[in-house]
Amino acid sequence: MSDDLPEAARDRLHGGAFTSGLSVADLAACHAMGLEPIGLVQGFCAMQWGYGPARMGFGSGGGLGMGLATGLAPNVASGGYVQNYQCPHGMVSAEHRQWGQNYEQTWIEQSWHDGYAAASHRMLEEATTLGAHGVVGVVDSVASLVEVGVVEFHLLGTAVVVTGLERPASPWATSLAGQRLAKLFEAGYAPVSTIAVVSSVRVWASCMTEYFMGSGAGLWSAPADSVEIDQLVSARTRARQLVRERARSQLQGDELHGVDLRVNEREPGPGDIDIEVQLRGNRVRRARPADPLAFPRPAVSLS
Amino acid sequence: MSTTPPRPHPVPEGLPAAVRQALAVAEPRHGAHAGLTSDLTIDETLILHSIAWAPRDLVVGLSVQSVPSVIWSWGSGEIELASRAHARAFAHAVARLHAEAVAVGAHGVVGVHVERRILSSHIEVELVGTAVAPIDARPLPDAQVFVSDLPARDFALLFVAGWRPVALAVGASFTYAPRRAVGAALRQQTQNVELTNYTEALYSARATAMERMQRAALDAHGAGIVDVTVTEGPLHFAAHAIGFTAWGTVVTPTPNARSIDPITTVSLDDTVSAFDVASLA
Repeated sequence: MSDDLPEAARDRLHGGAFTSGLSVADLAACHAMGLEPIGLVQGFCAMQWGYGPARMGFGSGGGLGMGLATGLAPNVASGGYVQNYQCPHGMVSAEHRQWGQNYEQTWIEQSWHDGYAAASHRMLEEATTLGAHGVVGVVDSVASLVEVGVVEFHLLGTAVVVTGLERPASPWATSLAGQRLAKLFEAGYAPVSTIAVVSSVRVWASCMTEYFMGSGAGLWSAPADSVEIDQLVSARTRARQLVRERARSQLQGDELHGVDLRVNEREPGPGDIDIEVQLRGNRVRRARPADPLAFPRPAVSLS
Repeated sequence: MSTTPPRPHPVPEGLPAAVRQALAVAEPRHGAHAGLTSDLTIDETLILHSIAWAPRDLVVGLSVQSVPSVIWSWGSGEIELASRAHARAFAHAVARLHAEAVAVGAHGVVGVHVERRILSSHIEVELVGTAVAPIDARPLPDAQVFVSDLPARDFALLFVAGWRPVALAVGASFTYAPRRAVGAALRQQTQNVELTNYTEALYSARATAMERMQRAALDAHGAGIVDVTVTEGPLHFAAHAIGFTAWGTVVTPTPNARSIDPITTVSLDDTVSAFDVASLA
């Protein structure tokens, strides 16, 4: 039994009845696979975003960043994706944006990663305490808590033991349960873990991006044709590449199935965009060579 | 330690043995598909395996095209600049998705989700799908790599029937619904009357968009288009502009095309007596 768990939690986990988040159908499928549910396990973590450039001065609140208007490229956290866009017009006015920049908000990504990893670790710690082999039916939620800049990570799943198998050093985890998990095993895969990664890219619009994304593009003149907004395309493309690269880096030869890609964007001003991309999936391991099923017989149902 | 209730049924030997065998593998196999990502469900992965195909990687393509906001307000006929911007946004997004698929040696992309936003200042298109290929197959020439919004299940069924997807065909048209004369608007204010300017704009936009989509299918040497998605109606930011968009997967038969022979099934479930307690009263 881990000493980190509160006494009440230890007492609850030692209770005589199992708890689970499984539906009746999923419970039946677990029994058919030789998995016995032993407890509903959870992990929580509330994280406050650290202080990055967005909080330290330039442009906070959605206005024009001072660095952008003065012609100086803003300093951003090092080590991440950065791309600069220079104004092609020269000095037009004090309000005219002479620089635009896409940059990766590494401090937000790190905080998100730390929060998710802590919640996941705590859930698995509860499962270990119960003597579980794995956790099935894992669901997570990431939501704002209490005040701006505080995010709650919550993971929940059902710890199971596998009849007749030695206990692993650390429990495996998967968001699959019931029939879907049974099909995974029958296909020769084994669950390893759930993976959740995030990328965060900030777009400080250049004068051209601001012009195209705002109403100004219609008021001053009507160009004869549409053009691609390069800065925005680059930022969005890079944000999606980053999460996929990050997920691949955690696979270590395994595969990631059932990927769920979610995009959240906030636009405080024309072209100024906060892009957050979250990627979740089930890391699975091929345990035996593929043994494909025969193609299912097509059926027409009469009702 | 918690206890579990007695098992209501004996554990079948086959499945638990497969579970134990799979969980006993401690190290990843560094095979051909190591490190792949896929948004397919386990069912979709299995059905792909049944036709000897497998996912290769999750691929993404997107584009944002500017549109001057004044074009939506006044005019007559088609808003050509908007239609062109929409076509370019799709074309660029498809090209980027296709390039990612080619880079991982895929033969095509299935289950492409289409996300679109049409705003007064710009048009956004994002495509996300899973690149797939026959197991252990070599890469195809780039031009033969297809993009399809058919789910993996439908792709497998198409494949078994001896057809193949060729490309994603898109057609769109944005058209002005001309304002009525002041006199006509006043006269019709209290009448139940068809607003022919909107009806005609819808028909016009529809004819142009469908023609463009079919032209795209012919250009791709397809025999037809399946699973067409249609969106139409006014735009929330422009009361006198109508948009009509259609997209679907271009398909063509292979020399092995044949009709499938489904079995007919009848469900014996009586859902009313099984689930509606009130019906038993």
